[in-house]
Amino acid sequence: MIRLENMFPQAFLVGVVKMVDKDGPLETIRWLQEIGEELATLEGPGFEGARENSINYLPICPFGSEITEFIEIYGYPAEFNDIVNKMYELKNASDKPWKYPALTHVMGVLQHSYSTKRAALAGAELYNLGSKSPKGEFKQYNEEALEKAGMAKEVIEELLERSFYVYKIVHPDKE
Amino acid sequence: MNRIEAEKLYENSVRILKSNQHENGGFYASPPGTRYPFIYPRDHSISILGCIHAGLMAEARKGLEFVLNSQKPLGEFSQRYDVDGNDASYKDLQIDGNGLVLFVLGKYFQATGGSFFKEMADTAFIERYWETIEKAVSFILLNKNEEVDLIHTINSIHEYPAYEHGFEIYANCACCAGIYAAVSMGKVLGKNVSEWEQQADIIKESILTRLYSPRRRSFIKCIRVKDKNSKPIGYDPFASTVLDIDAAEYAPAYFELIKDNDVKVMTTVKRIHKLLWDNEIGGLNRYPEYWGRNNGGYGPWCHFTCELANHYIEIDDQDKAEMYLGWVVDMAHNYTLPEHISTIERFELWLEDYTNAKILRDSKIKLIDDVRMHPKWKDGLAYVTIPLIWPHAEFIISYKKYSDKFH
Repeated sequence: MIRLENMFPQAFLVGVVKMVDKDGPLETIRWLQEIGEELATLEGPGFEGARENSINYLPICPFGSEITEFIEIYGYPAEFNDIVNKMYELKNASDKPWKYPALTHVMGVLQHSYSTKRAALAGAELYNLGSKSPKGEFKQYNEEALEKAGMAKEVIEELLERSFYVYKIVHPDKE
Repeated sequence: MNRIEAEKLYENSVRILKSNQHENGGFYASPPGTRYPFIYPRDHSISILGCIHAGLMAEARKGLEFVLNSQKPLGEFSQRYDVDGNDASYKDLQIDGNGLVLFVLGKYFQATGGSFFKEMADTAFIERYWETIEKAVSFILLNKNEEVDLIHTINSIHEYPAYEHGFEIYANCACCAGIYAAVSMGKVLGKNVSEWEQQADIIKESILTRLYSPRRRSFIKCIRVKDKNSKPIGYDPFASTVLDIDAAEYAPAYFELIKDNDVKVMTTVKRIHKLLWDNEIGGLNRYPEYWGRNNGGYGPWCHFTCELANHYIEIDDQDKAEMYLGWVVDMAHNYTLPEHISTIERFELWLEDYTNAKILRDSKIKLIDDVRMHPKWKDGLAYVTIPLIWPHAEFIISYKKYSDKFH
């Protein structure tokens, strides 16, 4: 249901679909990343969410309600898959695949760029070890990030039972 | 009040403050390994205030350095930080933090000067952080609604948007007092702060009129409004008032916007005492039980009890001051204070409510275990989060005032 006062998230998601149609998934990914980094710079250094030592996790799914509601209304746009697939393509071609998100939905691109940029401002790197989809029906892992962090998948799987995103905070200067 | 026990609690409170300051300057809300091993600007500010009252000026300065250095680019102080000063928030904006940081900075500045203000005051420190102060004030004013001249917030002292989203009294008083503190500091430095002063006066006037109910003869909790830029606010989807009693309605006097013997404060405190003093356990509850967010069971809070003790000290009501402070002394366990105290029955009721409603978070499991394992459980009492640093700071402040005034 759309009302003028709450249409902005829906409008943004329609905009993402239109942008993929117009400029392709790669350009859209870059655009989302730029937005994330810009907002991160305004917000400054930090790690949002719960923390257990160097593990940072989000007990609620950012954009979860908005994405779910959008899909309920519009169905799942093919353009979202284009973005997710392109992201995995980029990850597979990268020599630093651990820097990529364990993507479960399109807005993960924006979130990942925002979170990693804020971590970078704090002098740290953030590895997205695993994620759970907004409705909790599937999970994704970044195997290379798990390996780099020296974490077992089972541990992250357990954490994902009570969260949607699990990150490892790495301080290069403290390693 | 048992003065010997009170003295021991005071001494241990000072020890607890000192031992819970990380080497980087941040005061933990509760010690590492317990529920809140982070630095929350609200708790942190009160810890600094406790240090100032206890004469721990080096610790206060270090605490201020920590938080001032952690300011976010737009001028906000976050909900919480890690020990390195990185934002570690998991909740939305809590603007009272901005007010509190400025307020305690002003208190520190005052205290360093004392009777020989010009010669002794730590002016260099204020000069060093002037830009930070400016940004903190700007951020507060960025959140001011021009229709009602109040500061908009989502969370305040209870981190409970259902009752605090809008123009809430504690946040407004903290912010207003914070701007006044910035004005005072600016004047000493020779800065032009007339615009800030004017804004603080406008906000204060609005607090004293829009957040006060003459018929109830009490300050009220909140004008509930969803969006800070709603215009007119009467059409905002949340538009309503929260008239329920809340210990935070003492804020106008706590933040020294008006005196404790002002009739508005006197009648508000009378209402707070009547409706929030716990007749079963003693001590002061923070808000009515039916607000329904009573983690660990409904019950009195040590730091709110100390805060209201200040009022009775200020108005020379020694009996009531003793009643409040004496309760805190009596409830201390090994000279440590919990966040709040409940009974087994109320604890189990809360657990049942939250379990049935399916809103019991995993993070509460540790709280539940800790409460049941605490020695006081066998006395029929639920001690929730012990020690919490905030009540120790508040006890230092109120007990010091009590001792200075009555002995």
